[in-house]
Amino acid sequence: MKFECGDLERALANPDLMPEAREHTKTCAACRQQLRLWTEISNSARELHQDWDTPQLWPRILQNLQAEQQARKTNHWQDWRLWSAVAAALLITVGSLFMWRRPLEPAPIAKTHVPAVATTADQDFLTEQALIEVEKTEAAYRKSIDQLAHLAEPKLENTASADSVNTREKLLMLDGAIADTRSNVASNRFNLHLQNTLADLYREKQKTLKDLLTSEQKN
Amino acid sequence: MWEIGWPSPLATSLLETLSDAELVEACKRGNLRAFERLYELHASRMKSLAYHLLESRPDAEDAVQETFLKIHKAMGGFHGNSSLSTWIYRILLNCCYDALRKRKRLAEDPAPAQHFRTESKAPLKIALERAIALLNERQRTVFLMFEVEGLKHSEIAGILEVPEGTSRAWLFEAKCQLKRLLTEEGQ
Repeated sequence: MKFECGDLERALANPDLMPEAREHTKTCAACRQQLRLWTEISNSARELHQDWDTPQLWPRILQNLQAEQQARKTNHWQDWRLWSAVAAALLITVGSLFMWRRPLEPAPIAKTHVPAVATTADQDFLTEQALIEVEKTEAAYRKSIDQLAHLAEPKLENTASADSVNTREKLLMLDGAIADTRSNVASNRFNLHLQNTLADLYREKQKTLKDLLTSEQKN
Repeated sequence: MWEIGWPSPLATSLLETLSDAELVEACKRGNLRAFERLYELHASRMKSLAYHLLESRPDAEDAVQETFLKIHKAMGGFHGNSSLSTWIYRILLNCCYDALRKRKRLAEDPAPAQHFRTESKAPLKIALERAIALLNERQRTVFLMFEVEGLKHSEIAGILEVPEGTSRAWLFEAKCQLKRLLTEEGQ
C-alpha cells in the first residue's frame, strides 16, 4: 500500500501504520508538520496542569464540614425527641385500646386458640397476660375432662368389646401425647403452636370420652 | 477499632498509611482528619481539572469545595463499587458541569472562540489552552483528564461510566480537533 497524505489521520489512530507514516513524512513537509503538532499537543498538554496555593481553601471546606456535622447532630437530637414522643403516644394509645378491648372472661380454649393480644408479628408467642388466661382455662378444662374420664372408667374396665379396647388404647395414646406436650409447654410456655396442639389433644380426648359415654347410653 | 484523634502527629502519620477502604471507613465515622487526607491526596489535580473546565481559579476552588461537601454528605452511601478517586472525580465533574450550566443560564459565559481568534501566532501552550476551550464537553473532559492530569483510560472510563474504548476514541477525536484548530490558527 502506498501511504498518502490522506492516510495520516488513520495512522495517528492506529500505531501499526506509524512506521509508514514516519517514512512518508521524510518526503512530505505538510504531514511532517501535522505529525509534529500531534506530538506537541500531548507534550504541551502536560504543562497545562495548574497548581496554585490555596491556603484558605481547606480551612473553608473544614468549616463547612464542621457546620454540617453540627447540623446533623442537631437533627439527630430533634429526630430522637420526635420519635420518643411518637413512641410514647403510640404506647399510650395501644395500652388504652388493649385495656378497653380486653374481655372480662377468659375465652374458652376450645373456641379461641389465638389470644386476642397476639399480634401478627409475634403470633407464635403469647403475651404474659394471655398465657395466664390460657393456663387457667387449661386447668379448668383438664379438670372437667378428668371428671368425664372418671365417669367413663367403669365402662372401659368392664367391657371386653373390640370398640372398648380400641377406645382404651386411643385414650392411653392421647394421655401419652398430652403428657409429652405438657412437658414441652412447661419448657416453652409462650409457644402458641404447642398450646394449640395441647388444646387439640384435650378436645380429642373429650370427644372420645363423650362418644364412649353416649354409645354406652344408647346400648 | 482505633479512632484517629484531632490533630495529633501520630494520627496524621497513621492516616498516610491508610488504604482507600480504611480512609472511607474513617470518613464514614465522621473523622474530619480523614477528609483532610482525601483533600491532600486529590485537591491539586481536582483544582487543575476544575480550572480547565471552568476557566477561572475562584470557580475551580468553589467547585472543589462543593465536591468535598457532597462527598461528606454522600460518603455513607459509598460502597466501593468504583474506586474512591473515580467516585470523587465523578462528583467533581458534576459540580463543574452544574456550574457551567448555571453560568450559561445567567448568560455570563464568555465566548472563548473570540478570545481564541483574536491572538494569532501565540505560543503553542497558550494556543492549546484556548483551543481546548473550543472542544465539545466530552472531548475536552477526556483530553484534560488524560493528557493534562495524567489519568489512565481505565480511570476515565470509570469516571465517565463509558467503555475504555470510548474514552480512547473521544481522546482521538479531541486531538484531531485540536490539531485542526491549531493548524487553522497558525495560518
